[in-house]
Amino acid sequence: MLSAQNFGESGKMKEYHYAGPTEHRFSPYAFNGGTVLAVAGEDFAIVASDTRLSEGYSIHSRDSPKCYKLTDTTVLGCSGFHGDCLTLTKIIDARLKMYKHSNNKTMTSGAIAAMLSTILYSRRFFPYYVYNIIGGLDEQGKGAVYSFDPVGSYQRDTYKAGGSASAMLQPLLDNQIGFKNMEGVEHVPLTKDKAVQLVKDVFVSAAERDVYTGDALRICIVTKEGIEEQNIPLRKD
Amino acid sequence: MIVSKMALASVLSSECADFSLDFRQPFGFNCGPGQSGADCDAAPGDSVSFSVKNPMLAGDDDGVERKIEFLHGTTTLAFKFEHGVIVAVDSRATAGSYIASQTVKKVIEINPYLLGTMAGGAADCSFWERLLARQCRIYELRNKERISVAAASKLLANMVYQYKGMGLSMGTMVCGWDKRGPGLYYVDSEGNRVCGDLFAVGSGSMYAYGVMDSGLRQDLTVDEACELGRRAIYQATFRDAYSGGQVNLYHVHSGGWTRISQEDVLMLHQKYKDQA
Amino acid sequence: MATLAVRRAPLGGFSFENCKRNSILESEANKVGFSVPTARKTGTTICGVVFKDGIVLGADTRATEGMVVADKNCSKIHYISPNIYCCGAGTAADTEMTTQIISSNLELHALSTGRQPRVATANRMLKQMLFRYQGYIGAALVLGGVDCNGPHLYSIYPHGSTDKLPYVTMGSGSLAAMAVFEDRYKTGMEEEEAKQLVRDAIAAGIFNDLGSGSNIDLCVITKGNVDYIRPHDEANKKGVRHGELEGVQLTGDYRYKRGTTAVLSKVVNPLDLELLEETVQTMDTS
Repeated sequence: MLSAQNFGESGKMKEYHYAGPTEHRFSPYAFNGGTVLAVAGEDFAIVASDTRLSEGYSIHSRDSPKCYKLTDTTVLGCSGFHGDCLTLTKIIDARLKMYKHSNNKTMTSGAIAAMLSTILYSRRFFPYYVYNIIGGLDEQGKGAVYSFDPVGSYQRDTYKAGGSASAMLQPLLDNQIGFKNMEGVEHVPLTKDKAVQLVKDVFVSAAERDVYTGDALRICIVTKEGIEEQNIPLRKD
Repeated sequence: MIVSKMALASVLSSECADFSLDFRQPFGFNCGPGQSGADCDAAPGDSVSFSVKNPMLAGDDDGVERKIEFLHGTTTLAFKFEHGVIVAVDSRATAGSYIASQTVKKVIEINPYLLGTMAGGAADCSFWERLLARQCRIYELRNKERISVAAASKLLANMVYQYKGMGLSMGTMVCGWDKRGPGLYYVDSEGNRVCGDLFAVGSGSMYAYGVMDSGLRQDLTVDEACELGRRAIYQATFRDAYSGGQVNLYHVHSGGWTRISQEDVLMLHQKYKDQA
Repeated sequence: MATLAVRRAPLGGFSFENCKRNSILESEANKVGFSVPTARKTGTTICGVVFKDGIVLGADTRATEGMVVADKNCSKIHYISPNIYCCGAGTAADTEMTTQIISSNLELHALSTGRQPRVATANRMLKQMLFRYQGYIGAALVLGGVDCNGPHLYSIYPHGSTDKLPYVTMGSGSLAAMAVFEDRYKTGMEEEEAKQLVRDAIAAGIFNDLGSGSNIDLCVITKGNVDYIRPHDEANKKGVRHGELEGVQLTGDYRYKRGTTAVLSKVVNPLDLELLEETVQTMDTS
């Protein structure tokens, strides 16, 4: 059907006007959308993601959360190319098991972050197309967030958004958690309730404007008692 | 000590099968969205500014940016004077026009008497300088003495030179203190390694040079030198959109490095506005 | 050239003056990594069906810019004449202007002939215009109306080809909508049945196509009557934020306190006003 073809090619109608040589190439990457978010508090960390898996203009799945539980105190948020997400989390899981068996203890969030950095850098010249954010508790039991770029540059933050709607979420977090560019505001420490509420609200807003974010929101709340999960419906269009 | 295998592969041998010597696999390069990253276009000729350009920028035909964006854009500065080396950097990381972070640590503490700076690809700098830290420690254990800044910088230059033309993007200054006194070398992913008294690297380097050239003297006191470095980075963040955040300041002296300060550029703006 | 252009009053229609300049600018801009502004495209689901005594047209209401929703409630069913309406997909500006031009010309045509315009006329005018511009006007249209010959429904492609069919879909969600039509379309449906079918077809587009979303607009055209229903249905409720749900502000208060914004400079301009003393006397209303 004519319309389907044309719209797929972003409406440029190349096939009628272009007479020169064409090149067909396999692309090892796709972009599957999705947004991840992590917030650290005094004694908790929250990792949240939407559950939509899409490509181009179509939705592959409405129930594909991008939060991966790694240990009892660490959750990984992973968005970008879903194939790489799967491979990466599989490798991390294997490495965690190896570590546990050889050292008789589970890896800390900081150690997982350092390991993830080298795993990502090992593919420097054919990168994993994945935006990673780790949320968890550190050795002192404090909340920790580590954010990564696709080739393994990482740093510790208190809050970070990644993925397709990151540029929509981050400014509100800067305002509400970071109290950026404001005068005379009280820098109150973040409570768990406020953090959960904020996470829900930013995702509701992001689902309004980003077509790759929607369907449902999965929130993982990491405390020393364990990981609590919540599911909240979002727009489905 | 030069590793015989490719350094990256030797470190990461357990990570993945496909990063050994036969890295020229069918679709290792020039494929998909990552391919644009493979050709770093910092021209070797214009090494005056040492700015590492952003190779990730290229228009997409439907206007939707779907490339793998790495972190880029910086102003870093280091200069020698009578009492050692001052290192000053900003803290902003950008991916395209998006500010990915305002709190990056662009001074990499290689060991208690060596510092490296970060400009270009953030992952490239932090990875290779971490590897350098390991090499330096091995050198210490073998030779029972600290590595010289010249040797350390050469180790780094040799490591990244093996990957020349493959898209590494790194412009770093290795600063330290050894038997010969203060040491300052510029090393980049193109293979340059230059010893000098003053370097500024990154997109805001020209603004920093401007301030430095008008105020740098050999006989500066430590306080004056710190203030000059701080001012240079502040001016760069003021004019260069890809630089900003905080100014991190280090002083390298005979006893190793000390961290002098970390100040928000907004606060500095207020301070300098009142002075002027 | 420049002086000529200034003296002469601008002619109507398209201007191609800047085409060459723009293509040079574009190639220069791409070198340094900028992209030139692009026209807003509406990833869209539009469709129409013929029922027993008329036409039902339907459209979603999302307009996108890249992958960001630019307008959550835009109108995609355009007026052509009192008995003809047209849904537009593709470049937003092109669909808007094309339908306006045809609407204007058809009004003139109706005035000079003294008759109600026919759908076939509108279709011919549209396809001739689009063909003339060889697909560079990116308008994909669904044209429907009722005239002296009964109900007619056309789909018009950007290059100028047209189809006359009992049920048509267009836009990025056309496949999802067509699937619904293929499943449930019958000839000679009642109005309510047709409206429900079009609603479901658009809803299929809204849910399954990322370029389509928000509400469903309908336009029912029968002989001598037009029912433009906007919005007919809200396919999705917006997520409820905390404060709105409870009615009380627990945490979801994002308003600023007074004095949060830094004051950089302050200028007071005293107004030179004359102060008049006036007393007000109450009117006696007893």
